[in-house]
Amino acid sequence: MRKLFLMILISGWTAAQLPAQLRITGLDGLASKAKESVDITLDSSLLQMAGGFLAGKGKDGKDGDQIRALLAGLKAITVKNYEFKETGQYRIEDLEPIRAQLRTPGWSKIVSDQSKDELSEIYTRVEQGKVVGFAIIDAEPKELTVVAIEGTIDLKDLSKLGALGVPAIRIPDKKGKQE
Amino acid sequence: MNLDDELRSALRRDNPSPDFARRVVAQAKFSAKPKKSMPRMMWAAAIAAILAVGFTAPYEYRQMKAERAASDAVLALRITAEKLNMTREKVLRIEN
Repeated sequence: MRKLFLMILISGWTAAQLPAQLRITGLDGLASKAKESVDITLDSSLLQMAGGFLAGKGKDGKDGDQIRALLAGLKAITVKNYEFKETGQYRIEDLEPIRAQLRTPGWSKIVSDQSKDELSEIYTRVEQGKVVGFAIIDAEPKELTVVAIEGTIDLKDLSKLGALGVPAIRIPDKKGKQE
Repeated sequence: MNLDDELRSALRRDNPSPDFARRVVAQAKFSAKPKKSMPRMMWAAAIAAILAVGFTAPYEYRQMKAERAASDAVLALRITAEKLNMTREKVLRIEN
């Protein structure tokens, strides 16, 4: 499992067109229950715009360029994140419409960790030997996150981004504050 | 004095003051002047302002849209990276 995970991280993923986009459904009512929620959907034109805007931004322009490089191969990205004050605001079954799509041919579950009230899964979609999609489901008692990505993304670089953060680029955080 | 005399006195023809004619002509000239229209410079400035807004507004809108998209993209990548790392740590913890 570890080797497989590292292999995926090390390899740069190349993607082609994704004919059937993963639809994140069944979570519509959760935003009103959440104390904080993030709902982002960016298509290729918005990603291109974002990349153009970020070019040269941040510390010495490197942060912006790093993020721009990550965005360059993406065709679409959808992120839904809900943080709840209390447990029991959603059920794992609410994720079933999404998980059902991820069980269709083409998608492969590469990482899965499930306990009584937690679930973490990573899926990839492969077409003609190439990874063309990527999805994360992370369900915790007080937090639910679903990510769907279409296109090329270097997970190794993305993973580094998570470790480094993006401190030099002013963006609103989840509460709308500027960092 | 009866009413007839009073009226006759009030309506009596008087000679105008010596410069009456001059004042009438001066007033007539003043009234006949056409009202000043908006100066050309002001029209030019107004047109320039309209054109400037017309040309820059779409650019401003596009910039705002790009800025919003950029902040959304960074936040989306940050959440994705955070969850990816968290899942990796979980897997590594289980394997160890």
